[in-house]
Amino acid sequence: MDKDILVSYIPLYKNALLLTLKIGWQGIGLSMIIGLAGAAVLHFKVKVIKNIVGIYVELFRNTPLLVQLFFIYFALPKIGVNISAEICGMLGIGLLGGAYMIETFRSGLETIPVMQSESALSLGLDKRQTFLYVILPQAFSAVVPGLTANIIFLLKETSVFSTISLMDLMFTAKDLIGMYAKTIECLFLLVVFYFIMILPVSIIGMIVERKTRYAEFGD
Amino acid sequence: MKKTILSKVKKLTSLLLIGLMLTSVFTGCTTTKADSSNKKTVYRTLKEIKKSGKINIGVFSDKSPFGYVDKNGKYAGYDVYFANRIAKDLGVDANFVSVEAANRIEYLQTGKVDIILANFTVTKERAEEVDFALPYMNVALGVVSPSNKVIKKLDQIGAKDEVIVISGTTAETYLTKNYPKIKLQKYDAYAEAKTAFENKNGVAWANDNTEVIAFAKENKGYTVGISSLGDNDTIAPAVTKGNKTLLKWLNDETKALGKESFFHKNYEKTLVDTYGADYEEILVVEGGKVK
Repeated sequence: MDKDILVSYIPLYKNALLLTLKIGWQGIGLSMIIGLAGAAVLHFKVKVIKNIVGIYVELFRNTPLLVQLFFIYFALPKIGVNISAEICGMLGIGLLGGAYMIETFRSGLETIPVMQSESALSLGLDKRQTFLYVILPQAFSAVVPGLTANIIFLLKETSVFSTISLMDLMFTAKDLIGMYAKTIECLFLLVVFYFIMILPVSIIGMIVERKTRYAEFGD
Repeated sequence: MKKTILSKVKKLTSLLLIGLMLTSVFTGCTTTKADSSNKKTVYRTLKEIKKSGKINIGVFSDKSPFGYVDKNGKYAGYDVYFANRIAKDLGVDANFVSVEAANRIEYLQTGKVDIILANFTVTKERAEEVDFALPYMNVALGVVSPSNKVIKKLDQIGAKDEVIVISGTTAETYLTKNYPKIKLQKYDAYAEAKTAFENKNGVAWANDNTEVIAFAKENKGYTVGISSLGDNDTIAPAVTKGNKTLLKWLNDETKALGKESFFHKNYEKTLVDTYGADYEEILVVEGGKVK
């Protein structure tokens, strides 16, 4: 490996990392909003909307992100809907992630025994209070591992962005290899940068999991 | 409790750092290994190819009319026509491998194909990584744009406009080097770049002039505003660096085929529908001799 080449490529990889993080986290934010809303719909068994959420979850969990991105970026403009590559990437991650988040949050809510809400109601809390102060905090602690796994999964899924011309980490590496053929240097940096991007998520996830488990076990 | 978390994190990080170091050592090792083994084992010599009864040739599957898959699911085009002849004259079967612009060099360097015949333009940078045989086609760069807003000069391109290129092509390298201010919108395959251009994602598409001329002829509403940009280059088959026996055979083959005007026949079979007869003398290189 050539050190000078490694150093000269770092700024390009840094830009790619920032773009990947930006779009990745915007998408993850969107996916959490979708996830919370969808899980609440499923939890409270809202008629009709419940079925729509179900279809959405199955549709997006059972198709690859690559196909979804292709559809949003290449097919929608044919019927007059033009979306920029960045927004498209965010939507792709958000919609795919949303489907996974709904399932994660829903399973979290289901871990809380019915007895808990019955007790809360009998103590005089109303439905909203029961959900916000009794169910949600406990559900959240159960959800953290799944949430962390989802976030890591989504950050890794950004590697298919090259198909919609976003210069993410993967595409930057492929592009540089195509132009200058320094394969080993490019791939080495690629591994390092993905690692830098995702390692903090694992660590923070672990800490948050510990902290929130207090709700279940106490210290 | 807090202490244990912290120490766990510390442990994990140090473990991961060790892993990272090991990776770097490992990649370091593979470099030297690849360097020494490149000369011996990566590629197959002419003898080995003949013995195996099969030659692996990397071609495009989405670049009509040079390398594409036709209605019957068979590879066709100018490059493929040549590839089939190579296999026939070697007395082996042709096994086509679909490649992308950006990974053509890797396919040769890892020995996954014996020859790249994917409209591969000869450049200095590439010649350091692979060995080019004698050329069989001329090429320059071209820029196509919508007919209602034709781009005839590169300085017409505004600061906010984006030009579509395909990652790993000479157009990308040329524009990156000579016009760093032009914003490029990069795609990793021809099909995607085409769709994006049709969807008006960029003001123009820069590529090999053969490709943009073909595009403008096949699609209404597009004009090739710049038909020759940069140097006049050639397109040639490429083999893994150091594969002398195969390279020599290819060169002899190209020369021999020149005597029967093979590439003119090839043009008339595969390219004439797209380009008409006018481009025949401009595009075809016969017998490896550039005029």
